[in-house]
Amino acid sequence: MRANGQERAADTGASIAGRGIKKVFGTGPSAHHALGPIDLDVKPGEFVSLIGPSGCGKSTTMLLVAGLEKTTEGKIEIDGVPLSAPLSEVGIVFQDHLLLEFRTAIRNVMLQQEIRRLDRQELRERADALFEKLGLTGAENRYPWQLSGGMRQRVSIARALVHQPSMLLMDEPFGALDAITRTQIRHDLEMLWLETRKTVLFITHSIEEAVGLSDRVLVMSDGPGKIVDEIHIDLPRPRPAHLGDYPDFAQYAQRVYTTFEKLGIYKFK
Amino acid sequence: MTTAATAVSDTPGRPFKGEWIWSLVFPVLSVIVFLGTWEILIRVLEVPAWLVPKPSDFLSRLSTDFTTIAGHAWVTSKTIAFGFAIGVLIAVPLALAIVSVRSLERGLFPVIIFLNIMPKTVVGPIFVVWFGIGPLASVIIVFLMCFFPVLVDSMSGFRAVDPRLYHITRSMGASQLQTFRYIRIPASMRYIFAGMKIGIVKAIEGVIIAEFIASSAGLGFMIMRASSFMDTTLMFSGLIATASVALVFNGLMVAAERLLMPWARQ
Ligand SMILES: Nc1ncnc2c1ncn2[C@@H]1O[C@H](COP(=O)(O)OP(=O)(O)OP(=O)(O)O)[C@@H](O)[C@H]1O
Ligand SMILES: [Mg+2]
Repeated sequence: MRANGQERAADTGASIAGRGIKKVFGTGPSAHHALGPIDLDVKPGEFVSLIGPSGCGKSTTMLLVAGLEKTTEGKIEIDGVPLSAPLSEVGIVFQDHLLLEFRTAIRNVMLQQEIRRLDRQELRERADALFEKLGLTGAENRYPWQLSGGMRQRVSIARALVHQPSMLLMDEPFGALDAITRTQIRHDLEMLWLETRKTVLFITHSIEEAVGLSDRVLVMSDGPGKIVDEIHIDLPRPRPAHLGDYPDFAQYAQRVYTTFEKLGIYKFK
Repeated sequence: MTTAATAVSDTPGRPFKGEWIWSLVFPVLSVIVFLGTWEILIRVLEVPAWLVPKPSDFLSRLSTDFTTIAGHAWVTSKTIAFGFAIGVLIAVPLALAIVSVRSLERGLFPVIIFLNIMPKTVVGPIFVVWFGIGPLASVIIVFLMCFFPVLVDSMSGFRAVDPRLYHITRSMGASQLQTFRYIRIPASMRYIFAGMKIGIVKAIEGVIIAEFIASSAGLGFMIMRASSFMDTTLMFSGLIATASVALVFNGLMVAAERLLMPWARQ
């Protein structure tokens, strides 16, 4: 089931190389320039966050990388192979859990197995392992309406990982959760990532989340978005719940605020 | 972290134990009081049975004329079942086709809207001319009555899936067929059932009117004939029989819903 690229060990991430990516929705007078042009390079196994104002093209970037939208200009290579169809070896998580209400938690995850026609028992074992790591043990046979918001999002993370993709794309995955749940789930995601080292492209509005999770934070400008700053986060892992303990954290956060102020995204008096 | 999963109650929103007894006692009690008052009033005021029959009259008539009434009820039930089944079997696939094919929607929707708002019973006399007095005309009217609610609700059901979910299924490499099977059909079930629940009520309404005008059997026919003989008691018995048929069909719908949508028991 490899649509893109060469053989790779199951537990490493894919690389992303985007050159001059630009996206214009529609044509003629209704055309809307949504993104770029931007260059986007992500190393295998790297955790990269995209942060930027609303409407700057973050979600669009993600869909382009997933091969779910076509670039208007520029090209994207995954593991050195140009994208031409929806990327198969990928897991996607959106802000809404997008679970199927008519399937139990475990069967929502096993949808990957059923649609991709993978080995049932193997996938079930992996799903059980993921449930355990995500604190979902005992919730397997509940329907989504019987789960809390945080648990639903955990199930949707399990669904994105159970087929062992080489890349995880997350679009504000914790945006709808409360602060306490968000901090915990951020840590749980980091632990999962440390174990498997998938390549992660993580979209967020939260500076704390970006700094708390990433190897590198890409700051985007107002739409049509460009990448205006790149911050390497050199903090030890796993990172603590309270990031303020690190003096460096304040500096990283300050840098994002300053960039936003310079771009006129923040207009404080 | 591991305790989070067990913290949520297993059956949220479940009524307190014993509450169902009261939900049974109250309706039964109110029916008894209602019929009792009726009986007493008619006896005291000495109203003749051809004008307003006593509950004891038409209830006992249900047992004395059981075979006749049950026979008509059976005919009516068959008509409902056929008309409804055909309605659902055509409406659901058609809804799927309309939602999937743009041009079909543009071409068919005005017709559907027109047919939907048109009172279906007015075509009864036309059907009598075309198909004669008999079960066919009634089945077609029942079909028309329940077809549209099922069609319209199924259409919203097939549209109800969050388009971003298709991003996920496309990345899974799902085929059209798989998307239907795993996502669209089950996701639309809730809507289809909502349509069918309205549809069955309409079907029962339709079948009686159809039998008034276009039938030589069935409860509607029986009531109409009783009316021409001024047999008011039998008319009331027919009313009870009709209500019972309606109850049975509603019960079947609820049972089917529980069976097919175990996830929706909220
Ligand atoms: N399918 C589409 N058709 C037309 N315009 C679109 C489409 N998708 C997005 N856009 C536009 O492209 C721009 C970027 O959208 P995008 O969703 O990528 O922003 P975003 O950075 O994810 O914003 P937010 O933080 O609010 O989610 C917006 O102006 C949006 O209106
Ligand atoms: Mg977005």
